[in-house]
Amino acid sequence: MIEFDRVSLSLGQFALKDVSLTINEGDYYFIVGPSGAGKTVMLEAIAGLHQPGQGRVLLRGEDITATPPEKRRIGLVYQDYSLFPHMTVSDNIAFGLRLQGAKADAVRREVDALLRQFGIEHLAERHPLTLSGGEQQRVALARSIAVKPDILLLDEPLSALDPVTREKFMQDLARLHRERHLTVVQVSHERSEARRLGTRMAVIIDGRLVAEDRVATVLNAPKRPDVARFVGIENVLEGCVVENAGGLAVVDVAGLRFEAVTGAAPGERVSLCIRGQDVGIALSENPASSSRNALSGTVAGLVGNGPLVDVRVDCGVAINALLTERSVEELGIRPGSGVVVLIKASAIHVIAGDAGGPD
Amino acid sequence: MKMATLLKDLFPPYASLSGWSRRRTDRCILGFCLLGSVIVGITVLALANIAITELADPVHLFEVATSSEVVGSILLTFGAGLNAVLLLILFGTPLAYVLARSQPSRKKEMVESIIDIPLILPHTVAGLLVYLLFMRRGWLGAPLSDVGLAFEDAYPGTVVAMLFVASPFYINTMREGFEKVPVHLENVARTLGATRLQTFWKVTLPLSFRHMYNGSILAWGRAIGEFAAVIMIAYYPFIVSTLIYYSFTTDGIRTSRSIAFTVIIVSFAVFLVLRRLTRYVGRYDDRV
Repeated sequence: MIEFDRVSLSLGQFALKDVSLTINEGDYYFIVGPSGAGKTVMLEAIAGLHQPGQGRVLLRGEDITATPPEKRRIGLVYQDYSLFPHMTVSDNIAFGLRLQGAKADAVRREVDALLRQFGIEHLAERHPLTLSGGEQQRVALARSIAVKPDILLLDEPLSALDPVTREKFMQDLARLHRERHLTVVQVSHERSEARRLGTRMAVIIDGRLVAEDRVATVLNAPKRPDVARFVGIENVLEGCVVENAGGLAVVDVAGLRFEAVTGAAPGERVSLCIRGQDVGIALSENPASSSRNALSGTVAGLVGNGPLVDVRVDCGVAINALLTERSVEELGIRPGSGVVVLIKASAIHVIAGDAGGPD
Repeated sequence: MKMATLLKDLFPPYASLSGWSRRRTDRCILGFCLLGSVIVGITVLALANIAITELADPVHLFEVATSSEVVGSILLTFGAGLNAVLLLILFGTPLAYVLARSQPSRKKEMVESIIDIPLILPHTVAGLLVYLLFMRRGWLGAPLSDVGLAFEDAYPGTVVAMLFVASPFYINTMREGFEKVPVHLENVARTLGATRLQTFWKVTLPLSFRHMYNGSILAWGRAIGEFAAVIMIAYYPFIVSTLIYYSFTTDGIRTSRSIAFTVIIVSFAVFLVLRRLTRYVGRYDDRV
């Protein structure tokens, strides 16, 4: 539906570099990346607010690179809501409809319907600065879909909301996507949002597209170590394949031997990606286990992580394990405890070589 | 005005009328008030001086204040100032917007410095610049006088001199106003179907209206107070500052003082009303 064909653009010190991606009709597409990576600029480029220095932007195959934003039918909701403070809620929602030349009766009907749909009828005559963050967010969303855009762009819409409002708003977004068959592009730095709502996603780091695929693929089987770190894989270890017997490779990581399932050949450099929840911890020196990797180490620290505890173990290399609080209590794990780290060979995702291009 | 009331107006979060008397006096604020009172005090003394003298002879004051020469001059001054401000709104507003939205560059710095020139020049120099450009043989004055628009000793000359000296006040205030309007609001308006011009009219300008109003008041005040720049190109018709100077040099201190006092009263009343109105301009939060 919308396609970036080798788009580059500069904005002061910042630059998007040679970005190519395709967003299909009906996608709930996530653009994620660290702060300052260029996510919002990319969203604004889709909206037509920045002209690429190089490359093309295509909408349904038609080159819209030079098309101004008002002619693209692409809605935009910013993180700061960006409601017009001099207009009431009703006038904010009616803004685009009036510009389209809709008659006053039609505008009123549409605005009333949207106010009802988003449960904000009681706010109709209020000014935006008197509303809470959640209320402003709803108004901003209602305003953007009032003009029936082909694509809805959301710039970190959930980041400023409290957990309860956030959950409700996520449900609203999912419903909107489902019922209106909208193509949604959402910028976020929260992987959980992408996992929950997204169909496809792109990862932007330092102005470059470093990964683009289905959400599950990018999050569970990244093809670059920097993407693996960004998507929250707790352990990304660089090493070299020492031997490979029928797909079970031995990888040397700073003198430690790991066994992992991979087709990488001996001598090849690889990155081992191990999720914290795939790491087990035992107290005994010889625990009976099917895990191919058992590494002795010392607990270096424990950090609470919601209902889980992030246990950092120094085995020569630092390994992070995510355990439940109960497990930590029952095992009596505390800083300085001697433990054995257990990792199944099949739980290690291996990235071969120095992958540099997008997935 | 009572001290407590003044402090309440100046520092609402810190002092209420009742709270101020109850709480220990903030010595820092008190010190600032004492220092600031030197400025206010000098102005009040000067006003009291002239007021006491003038009010001692109200008949003469009334005669001068209601003379057609003085009334006409005040109206002319205020009208020319208003005219200059309207021209500034027309030409200065787009310039201020471009400056507010453009990235920092040497060209931008150069334009900003050119705009500020009237601020740093002696007023006679400003007047001379205007005169040389708009006199009958000037680069602009010559072609415009050919189409019947004369500036020397004419109303347009007064307006253009006022416009020149007042322009930085309006443009700089307006630029600050535009800078305070988040670009995101304009971006959203564009995605909702507004062209750049529609966005400017419906979003940016209304949100900058308070700055437009304040900039206009500042520029108007500066314009009607101008003397040196105006007399260089338009000694006639008399604006109030020229009339007071003329009266001082021909009739002496008595009449010129009465004209000055009349101008003070009228200007003070007008500015008081205009300042009062700023409370209601450009407020969008219905909680306050």
